[in-house]
Amino acid sequence: MSDALLKVEGLDVLFTSYGQTRQVLRDISFTVGAGERVALIGETGSGKSVTAKAILGTLPRNATVSAGRIEVEGRNVLELPRGERDALKGSAFSLIMQDPLSSFNPVFKIGTHLDDVLRFADSREGVKSSRADRRARIAAVLRRVQLADPDRVMNAYPSELSGGMRQRVLIGLALLHQPKLLIADEPGTALDVTTQDEILNLINTLVAEEGMALLMITHNLGVVRKVADRVVVMRHGDIVEAGPCEKILAAPEHEYTIGLLDAVPPLYGPRVQTQQISAQAPIVSATGLGKEFGRHGKRFTAVKDVSITLREGEIFGLAGESGSGKTTVARMMMGLSRPTFGSVSVDGTPNPGRPLAQIVYQNPGTSLNPKRTVKQSLGLPLKYAGLTGAARDARMAELMELVRLPVSYLAKYPHELSGGQKQRVAIARALAADPKVLILDEPTAALDVSVQKTVIELLLQLREELGLTYFMISHDLSLMRNFCSRLAIMLRGEIVEEGATPEIFADPKHPYTRALIAAIPVVTDDEERHKPAVSPEERAAFLVKTTD
Amino acid sequence: MQQNPFLAILTRLGTFVLVMVVLSIMIFVLARVVPGDPARMALGPTATPEQVSALRTEMGLDDSLPVQYVSYMGRALQGDLGMSLLSQRPVTADLGQTVPATVELVLVAVIIMFAVAIPLGVMTAHFRDRWVDHVGRLFSLVGVTIPSFLFAISLQLLAARYFGDWPIIGRMDHGLGFAGGPTGLMLVDSLLAGRIDVFVSALQHLALPAVALSMAGIGQITRITRSAMLENRRKDHVLTLQSFGVPERVIIFRYLLKLSSIAPLTIMGLEFASLIGNAFVIEMVFSWGGFASYGLNAILQKDLNAVTAVVLVSGLFFIVANLIVDVLIAIIDPRMRRKEAR
Repeated sequence: MSDALLKVEGLDVLFTSYGQTRQVLRDISFTVGAGERVALIGETGSGKSVTAKAILGTLPRNATVSAGRIEVEGRNVLELPRGERDALKGSAFSLIMQDPLSSFNPVFKIGTHLDDVLRFADSREGVKSSRADRRARIAAVLRRVQLADPDRVMNAYPSELSGGMRQRVLIGLALLHQPKLLIADEPGTALDVTTQDEILNLINTLVAEEGMALLMITHNLGVVRKVADRVVVMRHGDIVEAGPCEKILAAPEHEYTIGLLDAVPPLYGPRVQTQQISAQAPIVSATGLGKEFGRHGKRFTAVKDVSITLREGEIFGLAGESGSGKTTVARMMMGLSRPTFGSVSVDGTPNPGRPLAQIVYQNPGTSLNPKRTVKQSLGLPLKYAGLTGAARDARMAELMELVRLPVSYLAKYPHELSGGQKQRVAIARALAADPKVLILDEPTAALDVSVQKTVIELLLQLREELGLTYFMISHDLSLMRNFCSRLAIMLRGEIVEEGATPEIFADPKHPYTRALIAAIPVVTDDEERHKPAVSPEERAAFLVKTTD
Repeated sequence: MQQNPFLAILTRLGTFVLVMVVLSIMIFVLARVVPGDPARMALGPTATPEQVSALRTEMGLDDSLPVQYVSYMGRALQGDLGMSLLSQRPVTADLGQTVPATVELVLVAVIIMFAVAIPLGVMTAHFRDRWVDHVGRLFSLVGVTIPSFLFAISLQLLAARYFGDWPIIGRMDHGLGFAGGPTGLMLVDSLLAGRIDVFVSALQHLALPAVALSMAGIGQITRITRSAMLENRRKDHVLTLQSFGVPERVIIFRYLLKLSSIAPLTIMGLEFASLIGNAFVIEMVFSWGGFASYGLNAILQKDLNAVTAVVLVSGLFFIVANLIVDVLIAIIDPRMRRKEAR
C-alpha cells in the first residue's frame, strides 16, 4: 500500500535509564490507510503507547529511535526538522488522550487550552485569526462533539466538568484542525462503562462523517470489536499478529492472541460460568443501611436504605458506576465507617470486629506500603492476631503457599513484584487474620485481563479451600457474571435490582441494569445479540448526561 | 455544596482573632514569668525599695495575671498599649515610628526574593542537570545554609572595600534634611514629596539589608519552584499541549509557571515567620531603627509593654502575610476557591 496515510516500517525504539539500554519496540511495521480504523492492542508493557508517542514525536528524552521509518502521507517524519514536524500536529494527525482529568492544566479554563492550541496551529499555517473568530470555531467543534452549551464549557475549569464532558472536549481538541488521522490512546478507559460506550459511539460517528482514519490504542478487546476494521496485536515490543478485526477475534492464530481472548470474561454464551447459589445460613446481614455526608443542613445522601444478606460461602456482587455508593456500603460492612441509619451484623454479632471481615483493595500498587517488604506487610496483621516467633513465620509460609507465591518472595519489596503478584500479597494480607468474609473492592480493575484471570481463579480456589464468603464491589459486569452467585445493582445510593446472577442477565428488570449490560464492550457478535435492548428514553432517564 | 464566600472569609477572620488571642495570652504570661523585676530595671540600681514597690503598684504588677491581662487587653483594644519604660513614651507612638521601617525592609526583601527565585527556579528546572542547574542549586544552597548576619556583615565589608561611599547603616542620608512623610515608607514618602535625591539615597540604604534578608528565602523558593516545575512537567496536560504543537515557551511560562507558583507561595507564607526573625538580626547589623531592633532592646531591658506589643505586631504581620497568600492562591487555583467556599 503506497497510498497509506500512516506507514510505520521496521521501527526500533530503545530506552536508556541508569546506563542500561532496553529495547522496547522491535521491528514494528503496520499501515493505516485513509479512512481506515486500526487498533493497536496489547497489555501493560507491550509498547503500544510508545508506538503512539513515536508517531507523535513525544517520546521521553531517554528514548531513541534506532531504526525504521514513520511515514505520514509519504514523508518520513523522523527526518523532518522540528518545526515542520510540529506543523503536522493537529492537521495531519491528532491525539485523543487517555485520562480526561489529568490532560488539562487545572488552573486554566478549558477555553484557554483550546484557544492556545488553535492560535498556534493558525500561526504555523500563517493564518491570522482574531480571538472572537477562534472562539466561534471552538464553539462549532464543541457542538460537533455533542456538547450542548459550548460557552459554559469554555468558561469552566477542568475540575468543574464531568469525566465524560472532559473526554468530549479532548476529542474536540483533536478535531480542531480537521486531522486526517486520529490517534486515540485508550479513550474512555478512566470513565464509567456507560460513558465509555457513548464516547466510542461518538468517535465512530465522527470518523465516519469526517472520513478520518483512526489509530486506536487499547487493552480492551471489546473496544477493538466496536471501533476497528483491522487489529495489530502487540506483546513485549513485538507485533505477534495482525489482520482484519473479525478474523482476529473469531479465529486468532497466535497463541498469545488466543490466550488473550480466552481471558476475557464472556457476557453470554456457552463459555459463561455460573456460580452456585449458597443455601447455607446467613453470615452477614445489613439492614436499612444509610449514609449521609456533610454538615450545616446541606446533607448529601450517599447510601439510602440498603439491605443485604450474605449467605455463608456465596459470592455476592454489588455493581454500580462511580458515585453509586457501592464503596460506601463496603466500608460500612467492614466497620470502617459508621452507618447513619441501619446496622450490620456479622455472624449474629452486631458491630463487626475486624478479624471476621477483611478487605482487598483495587490497586495493589497503592495499598501496599512501598517501603515495607512482603514479610513486614504480612507481619503486622499477624502481630495483632497474637502470633510471634516461629508460629508467625510458619503462618507466613502458609499464607504465601495459599496465594501460590514462593516463600522467598517474603523478602521482596512491592516494586520488585508484578501487579498480579502484588495483588496476591494483598490477598494474603487480608487472609492473615483468618477472616470469614473477604470484601473485594474491584480487585482486578488495575490488572491486565490475563492476570485478572489468574487472580480470579485463585480467589475461587481459596473459597473452596477456606470456606470463605466474598462480597465483591465492581463496575465490571462481565467479570461479575462469571464470578458472582448473586448480584445487586446500585444506582445513586439505592439498590435497584437484586437476584441470582444468571436470572438478572437473562431478564434484567430495571432499565438501568439493561443500560449497564448493554454498554459493556463484548468480543463476539453472538454476545452482542444477546444484550438487552434499551430505549433512548430509558437511557436519558437513568444515565448521567455528559453532553452539557 | 456551595456556601456564601463572604461567610468563608468571616470564618477565616474569626480563626485569626482566635490566633491573636492565644498569642497574646502566651506572650503576656511568658513576659511576666521571666526572672527580673521590670520596675527595678526601669528605675535603675540606685532606686530605693519603696520607689520600686510604688512603681510596681502603679504598673499593676501586684495584681493577679488574669486581672492584669484583662485590663491590658481592655486598654489595647482602645489603642492604648501602655507606656514604654525605656523610651518613656506610649508604645503606640514608638511602633508608629519603627514599624514602617521594618515593613519597607521586609516588603523590598520579599520583592527581591520572588524576582530572583522564581526565574532561577524556572531556569534550573528547564536546564536540569546542566551547568545552569548546578550553579543555581549551589547558589540556593548557599542562601539556605549561610546565616543572614554573615551575609549582612560580608555585604557591608564588600561595600566598604569596593564602593567606599556606599551607605552601610541607617535608612537615609540625614544630610539631605528629609523629615519623612505620611506613610513612613521612605521610598514612597520621598516620591510623594518629589525628592528624587532622597529616593535614591533611601534605595541605596535599603539595597544591602534587603538583599541580606532575602537570601535565605531565595534559596528556599528557588528549590521549591524548581521541584514544582519538574513535577508538573511530567503531567499529562503538558503532553497534551505538546501533542498539539503549542510552543515550549508558552507551555513553560504560561501553563507551567502559573501551576508551579502555588507551592512557592504556600512556602512563602510559612517562611514569613523566619523572615521576621531574620529582620531582628539584620536591623541590628545595619542600625536600621525598625521595630525589630526596638523589640530586641525591649526584650533585653524587660520593657514589658513594648515586648508584648512587638510580639503581637509580629504575629499580626504573619497572619496578614498568610491571608494575602491564601487570597493569591485562591485567585490562581479554582479548586481552592471552591474548597474555600464549601
